[in-house]
Amino acid sequence: MPKKPRTSLSVLAVMAGLGLALPAQAQGVITWGKPAEITGFDVHVAGTVASWEMYQMVYETLLITDDELSLQAGLAESWEEESPTRFIFTLREGAAFSNGRAVDAQDVIGSIERIQNPEIASYWAHQLGEIVSMEALDDRRIVIELARPHATFLPALAHITAAIIPVQEYRDGSFDPAREMLGSGPFMVEQHNQDESWTLTRNPHYGRDGYPRADRMEVAIIPDESARIAALRDGRIDFTTFENPDAPQMLGTAGNIANHPIQTTNYYRFDVNALSEDSAFHDRRVRQAMNLALDRDAINMLVFNGTSAVDYPVPAAFGTDACHDLDTYALPRDERLERARALLEEAGQPSPQVELMASSANQVLGRIAQVAQQSLAEAGFQVTIASVPTAEYLQRVFTDGDFDFSASWLAGYTDPSMVIQWWNPNFAVWNLAFQEEIPELSDALADVRSTPASPERDQALRDICAMIDEGANLLALVSKVDYVAYRSDQIEVRLADRTGSANTWQHIAEFAPAD
Amino acid sequence: MRLVVYLLPRVLAALVTLFGVSVLVFLSLRLLPGGYADILLGPFVTAEARAIIAQRYGLDQPLVLQYLRWVWAMLGGDFGISMVTQRPVIDELLRRAPVTLQLALIALGVALAVGYPLGVLSGTRAAKTRKGRDFGRVIGAMGASVPDFVLGSVLIFVFSVWSLWFRVGGYVPFSTDPVGNLRTMLLPGFTLSVFGVALILRTTRDAVLRVMTEGHITAAVARGDPPRVIIRRHILRNAAIPVVTVVATYFGFLLGGAVIVEVLFSVPGVGLYIFNGLLNRDYAIVQAGVLLAAVVFISINMLADVLYALIDPRVGATR
Repeated sequence: MPKKPRTSLSVLAVMAGLGLALPAQAQGVITWGKPAEITGFDVHVAGTVASWEMYQMVYETLLITDDELSLQAGLAESWEEESPTRFIFTLREGAAFSNGRAVDAQDVIGSIERIQNPEIASYWAHQLGEIVSMEALDDRRIVIELARPHATFLPALAHITAAIIPVQEYRDGSFDPAREMLGSGPFMVEQHNQDESWTLTRNPHYGRDGYPRADRMEVAIIPDESARIAALRDGRIDFTTFENPDAPQMLGTAGNIANHPIQTTNYYRFDVNALSEDSAFHDRRVRQAMNLALDRDAINMLVFNGTSAVDYPVPAAFGTDACHDLDTYALPRDERLERARALLEEAGQPSPQVELMASSANQVLGRIAQVAQQSLAEAGFQVTIASVPTAEYLQRVFTDGDFDFSASWLAGYTDPSMVIQWWNPNFAVWNLAFQEEIPELSDALADVRSTPASPERDQALRDICAMIDEGANLLALVSKVDYVAYRSDQIEVRLADRTGSANTWQHIAEFAPAD
Repeated sequence: MRLVVYLLPRVLAALVTLFGVSVLVFLSLRLLPGGYADILLGPFVTAEARAIIAQRYGLDQPLVLQYLRWVWAMLGGDFGISMVTQRPVIDELLRRAPVTLQLALIALGVALAVGYPLGVLSGTRAAKTRKGRDFGRVIGAMGASVPDFVLGSVLIFVFSVWSLWFRVGGYVPFSTDPVGNLRTMLLPGFTLSVFGVALILRTTRDAVLRVMTEGHITAAVARGDPPRVIIRRHILRNAAIPVVTVVATYFGFLLGGAVIVEVLFSVPGVGLYIFNGLLNRDYAIVQAGVLLAAVVFISINMLADVLYALIDPRVGATR
């Protein structure tokens, strides 16, 4: 009797061995373990990183940014700033969509018009500023004229939401951007199984000779962190990202897995409800006390094992020192706590009860909330933590204003004057549900948008920092690091050390299976 | 004819149940905070954008009208489209159904293979010794009290560090790679089966204990029939009815309720699809998924009713 099972087990073991011996990648194929599925196909509409990352495989923008966050040629091989309000772009010769049709000036004009069309509901129209005219000088040259100087116009064109789509096909109905993707980027979509996998193949008409280096990219949607770790260990995926710093540390012992933390301009933040009369934070002094009592260093050390850094409304990744000398950051913690307690006494709320909301989709946010809960207790706050689904979090914060404060993260983009517009409810209209308008701050933010990078702008940013700190309505916490892990024995990668928001895979065309 | 009379009230009750499920799922989805506009636009959602997206998908219509349109379309075979992909929901559900079916069959197979023999053993031994009684109770209580997500999380952690042949995630179809398929499906199947093992064990044990007190068993013992014959001929058949009921209910639960395990192990079945649909507030997915799961559940239970009538002719005669 015992013999039969033994035989079965040995056959199983041989089969298992064969299974283990199978390589994860065929020739020319790279495999990406993607943590989340896209939330929609429309590149001009979706406002989530999970979507942006996929769009970058398929679409291109007129401009891109390099490791220094400086603008570089993208679909536009050159651009000329004739005046602060007039720009001429020249398209790259030979640029073509994956259906073989050349990208022309009408595609650029049509794409930007589509972004500005209120019916499309693209949130990116605000970032482009007020465009008064667009004209095709010929097939490859476009002139765009703005109503007034807008410093973020060019950086906004480098964000994937400003992707150039094939407008001719869109207008004749042969391409529907809401249900498919067709771009001039390195890859094109061959197959998509929702929440499961994508198969991308090389765009034969991609403009860079010899790129993309991989013939095909398989994308496995693996939301669970442990499952991504397992997939990376056994070689089923070649590369992936983590938000949790523990994951790369767990992988650290495996010799064939490399970790590459990428500094981004993004940072974790708290949104504080200044408008709800039901919230203790309606009183500005309570918000200021909370801002002072927060222990950002503890968040960095306890949540991120010291791999992140304290961050500021003007992200540290831009290399400016704006906001660094504010009391919130510069004073010793004991002194900050003392002042926080004094502010709470002054407000008549020595022990305010508040709820900190965090989306359950991101476990890092929950950990930040726990550390904040402890550090705020030292000043007298009684914080309860609510972990809610993403849709509920978004509705309660940005539509209903039904919360005390919430944890999230903010995209820093590629220019310091873009991210701080979030403190201007006239611009960031989605914040109207909880943000107090400070007219002088809004004016200063509007001014800085039309001020090019200069010492004057740096000074303006410092002044803005003081006003932001005074309002304590949105609080920067610590930098958001993208923890990239890849199989060094299976894939050759090129990764930036620093990126703007969601540009993690900006060099994807250079990824290739290892020899 | 007897069977028709027996089944007719059950069919009518099933239709009422389906109507109730459809209303419940439709309304509860709309009562949930947040909508697809929030998911699509992230924090950039504005009242205007929300209105445009609601209009695009007919969500600005009165609820009654939305419900009637949905039911009417469904009666014509149109289960709606996913707001994320703009593709028909039914295509995706049908593509995923075999995955969930396989998972359910693995779980049911393990539950039956382990739970039923242990239940019979425990029942027959319980009549003799206290240890036999305790054995069944302990296994049953353990299986019933360990939640799927706890066991699944532990298994994922263990097997993501030490593979031990099994594979966490990375589903491949059986037709493409049978070994690879089993490597990914056995762990979730086992996780899902643990509750079933306990359920079937306890049900079988109780049924066996009940049957063993009946007169015809005493008579068989008095006749001097060997225990093996008594168990096979008299106990197993008579104890089967409650077990069939439980197995049918459990299988229906597996087909419609394997959500947590599918999510944990990234098994691309119907449960994961519904779960993501729920997170994305992709109403058509959840509505169609839940309603079809209810149809499957009800159908399986009706099949069990038919089986009762076949196993025990008295059942049909009394109703």
